[in-house]
Amino acid sequence: MISNRYFSQSCEMKPTNLPKQNPPLPAAGQPYLSVVAPVYNEVENVERLWDALYPVLQALNKPYEVILVDDGSRDGTREKLRELAARCPMLRVILFRANFGQSAAMAAGFEASRGDIVVAMDSDLQNDPTDIPLLLAKMAEGYDVVSGWRKDRKDKWLLRKVPSKIANRLICSITDVRLHDTGCSLKAFRGEILRRISLYGELHRFIPALTRMEGARITEMAVRHHARRFGQSKYNLSRTFRVIMDLTTLRLLMRHLRNPLSFYFQFAFWTMSGAVLCLAAGCYKVIHQHLPWSDLNILFTLIVLLTATSLQFVFLGLIGRIIVESGSRRTFYLKTPPVS
Amino acid sequence: MTPTKVKKSGSSEVSVIVAVQNQKEALAALHDQLLTLLQSGSRRFELIYVDDGSSDGTWGELARIQQTCSRVKAIRLRSSFGEASALDAGFRNSSGEVLVYFTCRVHVNPLHVIQLLSRIEQGYDVVVGRRTPRRDSRLNQLVSHLFNGLVNRISKTQLHDVNSGVLAARRVVLESVPFYGSLNPFLPVVAQRQGFKIVEEPVEQLTGRFNQSIYPKNYIKRMLDLISVLFLSRYSKKPLHFLGFVGVIFTLIGAAISLYLFIYRALGIGGISGKPMLLLGVLLLIIGIQMISIGLLGEIIIFTHADSIKEYNIEEILN
Repeated sequence: MISNRYFSQSCEMKPTNLPKQNPPLPAAGQPYLSVVAPVYNEVENVERLWDALYPVLQALNKPYEVILVDDGSRDGTREKLRELAARCPMLRVILFRANFGQSAAMAAGFEASRGDIVVAMDSDLQNDPTDIPLLLAKMAEGYDVVSGWRKDRKDKWLLRKVPSKIANRLICSITDVRLHDTGCSLKAFRGEILRRISLYGELHRFIPALTRMEGARITEMAVRHHARRFGQSKYNLSRTFRVIMDLTTLRLLMRHLRNPLSFYFQFAFWTMSGAVLCLAAGCYKVIHQHLPWSDLNILFTLIVLLTATSLQFVFLGLIGRIIVESGSRRTFYLKTPPVS
Repeated sequence: MTPTKVKKSGSSEVSVIVAVQNQKEALAALHDQLLTLLQSGSRRFELIYVDDGSSDGTWGELARIQQTCSRVKAIRLRSSFGEASALDAGFRNSSGEVLVYFTCRVHVNPLHVIQLLSRIEQGYDVVVGRRTPRRDSRLNQLVSHLFNGLVNRISKTQLHDVNSGVLAARRVVLESVPFYGSLNPFLPVVAQRQGFKIVEEPVEQLTGRFNQSIYPKNYIKRMLDLISVLFLSRYSKKPLHFLGFVGVIFTLIGAAISLYLFIYRALGIGGISGKPMLLLGVLLLIIGIQMISIGLLGEIIIFTHADSIKEYNIEEILN
C-alpha cells in the first residue's frame, strides 16, 4: 500500500535493487536518520537533491526523514518545496519568514530533527548523497561526529580552495579539533549531542568545536565532491574579520568558560606588571639620578592608567564568573545513563 | 490556506487596547464611538482600557463603562508606568488574534480603527497609523519628521510616523519581536526585519486638547533607543563583531603611536616624556583592549544563555 504511494509518483527515480519490505512510516515515533539541509535560492537544485537522496535513504531500510529549511528564498524555491512536500511524506520543510542566515537555518533544522543520527549537508548537490551510508558505517564504529573531507575538491582554486585551506588551519589550531576540512558541510552527528548545541550568529562554521565542548568523539572521512552545476555559490571572502572574532570567542569559551577570571587575569597580570615596572623606573630616577618628582609626570600617569586597567580586567573577569555561575550550562555529560 | 484554529469559547478575534491617562471627560465619548464602530462589524471583539495611574477619576469612569458592557475589560496600573507599559499590560490580558493599539494621547479619530483592521484582513501583519493631517505643534512635527527620516535611513523602511500611537498587528508579530507586546516605536522596523508585511495607513488627527509635552521631552531617550535597537538587531547575538571591530581599530592606532614613540626614543632623537602623544597612544591601546574584553564578556553572556536564543522566525512547517 504505502510503497505504491511512493513509487507511483514522480519523486521516485526507482533504484532497481530496492529491498522489498515496506518503507518505514513517516513521522511515526523516532526516525533513525534525519538529513538536514539549509536551502537558499536553489530552485534548480531542490528537486534534484530529493531525487538523489531518496534512493539512497530508501535503500537504508530504516526510518528516516529529510528536513529542508528554506532561509527566505525569493526565486521560487519555496513553491518548489511546497510541491515536493505535498507528495513526499518523508520530506519535512521549514519555511522561514525572511532570510536569517545559515546558522539560523541549520539551528532550526537540527531542532526539528528527531533522528538518532543527523546528517547535515548542502543543498547545492556538491555533496554526494551516496556518501551517507558510509558516514553511517563510520558512526557505527562509535564516533559521535563524522566530518566529511573533500579530498578531491571541485572548486575554484584561488577563490575557494586557498582561503578554505587557510581558514581550516586557523580554525583547527585555535579550536583544537584536528580535521582536514572543517568547511565541508557533509557531516554526521549523534542527534542527542547535536540537539544540545546552540547555533546562533555565524557559529555554523564551528559545529565540530561546539560538539567537542559537549564531549563528542570526532573523526573524519573522505567524501566525494562535485562541481556546482546549477545556481550560484553564496560564499565570499568579506567575512574574514567576523570569522576571526568568532574564533577569539571560541578560544575563550573552550578554554576558560568554567572560569573566565583566568582569561581576564592574564591581561590584568601584564598591565599590572607594566605599572610596577613604571613605578620601579620612577623610583630609580628619583633616588639614584636625583631627578625631581615633577619631571616624571608622564611616568606616573602611565602608572595610574595601567593600574586602573588592570583592576578593570580583574572586575571584568569576576563579572564573567558571576555570569557563568548564574547560567544553567552543565559542566559534564554522561556517555551512558548511570548504572545502578 | 491557513488551518482553522479551534477557538476557546469567549475568546475574541480582535482586541482593541486603549491606553488612558487623565481623560475623564473624553472617555465616555471615545467609548461610545469605539463601541458603535466595533459592533457594526462582524468580528468578535473585546475592548480593553488600561488606566495608567490617572489621578482625575478616570478609573471611576472606566469602572462605570465596564459595568455597562460585557465586552469591556478595565485594567488599572498601580501608578503611572508609561504608555508602553500600559499597552503591554493590556496585551497580556488580551485574547484576540488581531490587536489594535490606540493611545488617547495622540487624539486620533477612532473611526480609523476599522481601516487598520481591514488592512490586516488584506493580509498585512502590521498596520501603522500615519497622522495626516497632523494637528500637533510645529516643533513636534519637525522632531518627528527628523526622527522618522533617521529611522528610515538606518533601517531601510519607508515609514512616516512610527510613533503615531495607533497600530494594528497580528498576535504572532507581537509574540516574535523582542520587545514583547509593548508599543515600541521600533516595533514596525523590527517586524519588517523578521519578515512580516507592514503597511502604513493614514489616520486623521483631531484638533483639541491633548498632551503635547510628552514627545519633545523624550526625544533624547528616543535617540538612545534607536542606537540600542540598531545595535541589538544587528549585534545582539554577536557583540564582539561590533565591539571587536572598534576595539581592534583603537588598538591598532594606539600600537602605531606607541611604536613610533618607541623608535623615536630608541634612536635617541629626543625624549618622549614630555609628549602628550605617549598618553594618547597608551590610552587608545587600553580602550581598544577593554572594548575587546567587554565584547568577549558579552559573548560569554550570550553563550551561557544560548539555550533560549532563537534567531529565526518560522512561517510554516510542511509535513
